Amino acid sequence: MSNLAVLPIIIPLISAIILIFFHRKVKLSRVLTKLFSLISLGTAGYITWYVLENGTIILNTGDWIAPYGIILVMDGLAAILVLTTNVIATACAFYAPYAGLEKREIYYFYPFFFFLITGVSGAFITGDLFNLFVFFEVLLMASYGLIVLGGGKVQLRESLKYLLINLFSSMLFVTAVAFLYAVVGTVNMAQIAERVQEVEQQGIITTIGILLFFVFATKAALFPLYYWLPKSYIVPNPVISALFGALLTKVGIYSILRTFSLIFIHKTDLTHDMFIWIAGLSMIFGVIGALSTSNIKLIIAYNIIPAIGFIILGIGVLNPDGISGSIYYLIHDMIIKTALFLLVGVIASVAGTSDLRKMGGLIHYYPSLGWLLFLSGAVLAGLPPFSGFIGKLLLLKGAFEEGEIAIVIIGLLTSLLILYSIVKIFINGFWGDKEAMTHIEKKPINGLLTPIVSLLALSVLLGVGAELFYPHIESIATYLLDPEIYIDSVLKE
Amino acid sequence: MEIITSILAGVLFATAIYNLLQKQLIRIIIGTALISHGAHILILTMGRLKAGQPPILREGISNYTDPLPQALILTSIVISFGVTSLLLVLAYRASQENNTDIMEELRGNENE
Amino acid sequence: MLYAILIPLLIACFIPALSKLKTKIHTGIFIFFVPFFIFIYFASFIGTDFSPVMEQYSWIPSLGINFDLYLDGLSLLFVLLISGIGALVVFYSIYYLDKSEQLGNFYVYLLMFMSAMLGVVLSDNIFVLYTFWELTSISSFLLIGYWHFKERSRYGALKSMLITVFGGLNMLGGFILLYVVTGTTSIQEMIQQADMILSSNYLPLILGFILLGAFTKSAQFPFHIWLPDAMEAPTPVSAYLHSATMVKAGLFLVARFSPIFATYEWFFIVVSVIGIITLCWGSYMSVRQTDLKAILAFSTISQLGMIMAMLGFGTPIAIFAAVFHILNHATFKGSLFMVAGIVDHETGTRDIRKLGGLATLMPITATLAIFGTFSMAGVPLPFLNGFYSKEMFFDATLGLGSGGWSQVIPYLAVIGSIFTFVYSMYFFFGTFTGKKQLDQLPKKPHEAPIGMLIAPILLVAGVILIGLFPNMVNAPFLQHAATAVNNAVEYKKISFWHGFISPFFMSLAVVGIGTVLFITRKKWQAVYNFLPGKASFNHIYNGIISKLDTLSNRITNFYMTGSLKTYMSLILSTVLIVSVVYMFLTDGFAFSTDQLAEPSFIEIAVVAVMIIAAIATIYMNHNVAAILVLGVVGFGVAILFVIYRAPDIALTQLVIETVTVALFLLCFYHLPKMRKSTDSIKTKTINAIISIAFGALITIVAISANSSRWFDSIADYFVENSYKLGGGDNIVNVILVDFRGLDTLFEISVLGIAALAVVGLIKMKKNKEAE
Repeated sequence: MSNLAVLPIIIPLISAIILIFFHRKVKLSRVLTKLFSLISLGTAGYITWYVLENGTIILNTGDWIAPYGIILVMDGLAAILVLTTNVIATACAFYAPYAGLEKREIYYFYPFFFFLITGVSGAFITGDLFNLFVFFEVLLMASYGLIVLGGGKVQLRESLKYLLINLFSSMLFVTAVAFLYAVVGTVNMAQIAERVQEVEQQGIITTIGILLFFVFATKAALFPLYYWLPKSYIVPNPVISALFGALLTKVGIYSILRTFSLIFIHKTDLTHDMFIWIAGLSMIFGVIGALSTSNIKLIIAYNIIPAIGFIILGIGVLNPDGISGSIYYLIHDMIIKTALFLLVGVIASVAGTSDLRKMGGLIHYYPSLGWLLFLSGAVLAGLPPFSGFIGKLLLLKGAFEEGEIAIVIIGLLTSLLILYSIVKIFINGFWGDKEAMTHIEKKPINGLLTPIVSLLALSVLLGVGAELFYPHIESIATYLLDPEIYIDSVLKE
Repeated sequence: MEIITSILAGVLFATAIYNLLQKQLIRIIIGTALISHGAHILILTMGRLKAGQPPILREGISNYTDPLPQALILTSIVISFGVTSLLLVLAYRASQENNTDIMEELRGNENE
Repeated sequence: MLYAILIPLLIACFIPALSKLKTKIHTGIFIFFVPFFIFIYFASFIGTDFSPVMEQYSWIPSLGINFDLYLDGLSLLFVLLISGIGALVVFYSIYYLDKSEQLGNFYVYLLMFMSAMLGVVLSDNIFVLYTFWELTSISSFLLIGYWHFKERSRYGALKSMLITVFGGLNMLGGFILLYVVTGTTSIQEMIQQADMILSSNYLPLILGFILLGAFTKSAQFPFHIWLPDAMEAPTPVSAYLHSATMVKAGLFLVARFSPIFATYEWFFIVVSVIGIITLCWGSYMSVRQTDLKAILAFSTISQLGMIMAMLGFGTPIAIFAAVFHILNHATFKGSLFMVAGIVDHETGTRDIRKLGGLATLMPITATLAIFGTFSMAGVPLPFLNGFYSKEMFFDATLGLGSGGWSQVIPYLAVIGSIFTFVYSMYFFFGTFTGKKQLDQLPKKPHEAPIGMLIAPILLVAGVILIGLFPNMVNAPFLQHAATAVNNAVEYKKISFWHGFISPFFMSLAVVGIGTVLFITRKKWQAVYNFLPGKASFNHIYNGIISKLDTLSNRITNFYMTGSLKTYMSLILSTVLIVSVVYMFLTDGFAFSTDQLAEPSFIEIAVVAVMIIAAIATIYMNHNVAAILVLGVVGFGVAILFVIYRAPDIALTQLVIETVTVALFLLCFYHLPKMRKSTDSIKTKTINAIISIAFGALITIVAISANSSRWFDSIADYFVENSYKLGGGDNIVNVILVDFRGLDTLFEISVLGIAALAVVGLIKMKKNKEAE
C-alpha cells in the first residue's frame, strides 16, 4: 500500500500533462479538470482515511532505502493537508469555468492549476529537504505561470516583483540546504533531525535553522517579510488569488511547522520564543493592513497575514494544544480564505469595482452574496461555533499554558479587528439605499456560488462537528511533538 | 581553498544583492544571475573540494569527491535556468506594457 | 430545555420560506406562539419547592465543549423574562411593523436572538455560553441595522457590535484561563473549585477579562456609549434587547460568577464602583436628552448600573434587591419603551420638545406611562414595584459598613436616584401634559389601536400586581434566584412599610429634591448642556474608529510602498540582523583549517577574475558589456567545477551559460539601454552596506558550516552502490536518474512549466495585438 503516498503527486501531474494536449479545447478541459480534481480528491480522502487508520505510509522512491533515496512520508499531517488542498482544488475547478478567465483557459490555465497542486502536495509529502526545494520550485513556477497569465500592465508589474522576491528566497533556500549538508552530511529530514539531536543543535546549526526559517517565512508571508504578498495576490483572476491565498503561504507555514517540530527543537527558548513575537507582530501589522484599505480584495489579502500569525503562535508555544491549534487553524484558514477570495471576486464582478467607497446597497440585489459574506466574516474572525473558533480556542489555551499573556490579548484584539474589516465590507457594500449604486450588473451567479457555499458548509462542519476531526488532529499533534516517531518510521524500517 | 570559495560566494551574493537593489530592470536581472552562481559555488564547497577523484567509478580508485552536492547543483542549475528564462520574458513584457524599465516607477497604487 | 433553546433557531430557518407565501396574515402572528409556549413551559417550574435541574448533552467532549444546561433560580428568572417579554414584544410588533417591511428578516433576527439569549442563561458550559453570547451580539447588530438605509442605524449597529464583541472576546480570554486553571468547563464545577481559582496567580486577569465582558454587554461606564445609538433599532427591539434582556446578560454573568469571586476584595470594589458611577452618569445624562428613546436608553444604563452595584455589594439584601429589580425593571421599562413606540408611531416624532398635552388625545397611553414612570422614579406608593426594590437598594447601600469610602455610596445612590426622578417626571409630563403643539407633529395624533396597547397594558398590570402583592413572586421565584447567587440570602417577607428608618428618608429626599429640580429644570439647562461636550466617551469612540482608518492607512502606506527595492532592503536587513544575533547567542561561529583543500595558483586566479567580474557588473553601463562580464562569472563557475572534479555540472554549466548569454542578448536587445545609476551617494552607501554585510554573513556561515563537519556524508553509499545497484559508473548520473530520480522528474517539470508560461506570455500578447 505504500505506493499510495505518491498518488497525490502523480495524479495531478498526469492530469496537467493530459490537459496540455487539450489546451485548445476549452469545454473538454473544463470537464476533464472537474473529473481529475474529483479523482484526486477521492484518492486523497481514501489516503487520509487509510493513514488515520493504519498510521504513516512511508514510500522509498525507486526502492532506495532511507536516507539515501528520496523518501515520501505520508503521515497524518501530510495526509490531512493534502486532503484540504484537494478540497480547495476541487472547489476552484468548479468555480473556474464561470470565473471569466477567457483566453487564459486556452493558455494553459488548467495545466498550471494541476502543476500547482502537484507542487503543493509534493511539498507536504516529501521527507527530503532538497526535494522540498524542488517541489517549492514546481509550485512557484506554476504560480508564476498563473500570475502572468493574460496580464495587463498591473498584473505583469506585480508578477515581476513576486517572481524576483521568490527567486531570491529560493536561492537562499538552496544555500541553507547546502550549509546544513556540510554540518550533518545528509538531506533526509529524518536523518537531519536525528543528527541535529545527537549534537544538541550546537554551534552554527541554529543560525542555519534561522536562515531556513526566513526562507519559509518569506513564502508564508510572516512579519516582517510579507511585503510582496498583498498586491501580487489580488491582481490575477479571483480563482487564482484563491489558490494562492489558500495554498502558497500555507506551504511556507507547513514547512516551518515541519522543520521546527522535527529538526530545530533543541533551542526552543531562542527560536520558538521568537516565533511568538513574530506571531504577535504579524497579527498586528496584518490586521492594520486589512483596515487600511477600501479595496475589498486587498482586505482579504491582508487578512492572510494575521491568520499566519495565529498559526505560528501554536508552533511557538510548542505544546499539544498549541500544535493542534495550529493545525486546526491551518486547515480552517485554507478553506475560508479560498471561500473569501472567491466571494470577493464575485462581489467585485457584480459591483464592477473593488473599491468599497463606490459600493452600497448590494443586499437588495444579491442578498445571498451578502449573507455568505457575513457568515464568512464570522468564520474568519473565529466566532463560535465555526471552524476558526476551535483553532483559536486551542491556540489561546496553548499560549496561556505557557504563561504567554500578552500574545493572547493581541490575539483577541486581532480577532475583533478581523471581524471589523469584513463587517466593513458588509455594512458599506451591502447595506444602504437600494439606489446607492447607479450601475449594478445583473448576472447569474449561482454557478459561482456553489463552490463557495460548499466550502462554507465545510467550515461550519469543522466547527460544529469538531468532535469528528479534533481527536485526529490531537493525535497528529502528539505525534509531531515526539520527533522520535517520525525518525524511527523513516530510518528504522 | 574552501575558505576562498566561501569568500567568492560571499562576494557573488554581495554583488548580486547590490544589483538587486538597483532601479533599472537589467541590473536586477543581472543580480539574479549572480546569486544563483553564488549558491551553486556554495553547494559545491559544502561538499568539500578536491577530496578525491571525480565521481566516475574507475578500477583501483576508492576515493571520490562527494557526488551528492554535484547532483543537487545540477538540479538547481536547470531550475534556475527555467526561472531565468521566464524572468527575461516577463521583464521584457512588463517593461513594454508599462513603458518603463525603472522598478521605482512600477509601484502602483491601492485601487486599480 | 434543549428544545426550548433550539426551537426558535429552527423556526427561524423556515421563516424565509414562510414569508414567501405572501399570505395576508402578518408573519408575527405565527412567531408569537414560539416565545409564548416557551414561557408556559418554563413557568411550570415556578414554585416554592423548585430545585435546580441539570441536563447534559455531549457535543465536542474532547474539547470540553458540551451542551450542559443548568436551570436554577437565576436562570429561571431570566428565561421567563426572555420568553415572557419576548412574547409581548412579538405581539406588539405585529401592530408596530407594517407588512410592507422586510418582516421575514426581522423575525429571523429576533428568533435568533431569543435562542441565543436562552442559551446564554441556561448554559453551564463556558464555551457554549460564549457561543450564545456572541450570537446575541450578532443578532443585536442585525436588529439595530434593520433599517440599514439610515446612516445612523449603520453607525449604531457597528458600534454596538464592536463594543460588545470586544467584551465578548475578553470574556473568552477569561474563560480559557478559567479552563486552564481549573481543568473544567462547567461553571458549577468551577464554583466547587472556587478556592483553586482564588489562589491562582491569574485571578486578577480572569476577573478583569470576565468583567470586561459583562460591563460591555450591560452598557456599564465607560462602555455604555453603544446603547443610546442602539435606539436606532425598531422600538420593539429596543424594548426587548436593549432594555429587558440582552443588556442584562452582563448582570447575569456577574451574578453567575459571583459565588466564585464574592470573597475577592477587588470584585467588590470594581463592580460596585463601576455600577455606582454608571448609575449616576446614566441618570445625569438622561436628564439632558430630548428624544424619548434616548431618555429611556440612558435611564436603562443607569438602572443597569444600580443593579450591577448591588451585585458588587454582594450582601444578602443587595443580592435580593438586585434580582428583584431585574424583574421590576423589565416590567416598567418594557412598558415605557412600548409607550415611546406608540407615541412615535402615532405622532411621527420622539422629540419631547415637539410633544406635549397628549394625555387628552391618548388617554390610555398616558395612563400606562404614568404607572411606568412613577414606578421607575421609585415614588413611594404601595402599587408600584419600582419603589420596593429601590428602597431595598438604599437599604443595601447603608449596610456596607462604615469603613472609608463605602460611606459615600449612600449619597451617590441618592444623587443618582434624584436624577432618575427628574427624567422620569420629564418623560411623563413633557409628553402628556402641557401645551399641545399639533402643528409641530408630522402626524395627527390619536390613541393607538387596541392591539398595540395590549402588551404595555399587561406589563403595567405586572407593575401594579407586583407592587400590591410583592410576596406573590417572592418565595416561589425571587427567593430561588437570589439564593442561586448567594446562598446566604434568607427568606424575608417583602413589605411596604418599615417605619421611619433611613431608607425611607432617602426616598423622601429623592422625591423632595427631585420635585424641586424638575420644577426648576429650565434654570439648570445651562449646566446640563455644559457637561460633557467634548469629554464624552462617544468622542473617544469616534476618535478611535477614525484613527483606526487613517492611522492604519498611514502605517501601511509607509512601508507598503510598492517598491521592490524597499521590500528587498527590509527583508534583507531582517534576515541579516536576526541571523547575526542568533549566531552570537548560540556561539555559532567556528573556524578550523582541518581538512581544507590546498589552493593552487590557477584556482586563485580564476576566483580573482570572477570577483573582479562580479564587482564590475555594478559599474557596467552598457548592455552588451554587462552581459559579457556576467558571462565571465558564469564561465568562471564552469572552470571551478572542472577544477573541483565535477565534470558533469561543468558541462551543464557551460551549455546553460551559453544559452543564457544568448537569451540575455536577445532580451537586453529589447530592453532600454543601461544608464548610469542616478542614486544619491547616501542610497548607494546604504545599498553597499546591506550587500556587503549580507555577503559577509553568507561567507561566515559558510566557513562555520565548513568547520563544523560533525558527520560523515551519506555519499559513501552512492559510491558503493552506484554500480552494484544502480548499474552506472557515473555516480552523479546514477544519483540523478535513479537514487534521486524524483528530483529530476520534477526538475524537468519545472522546465516544462516555464516553457508553457513563456509560450503563454508571448502568444497571449500576439492574440491581443491581433484583436
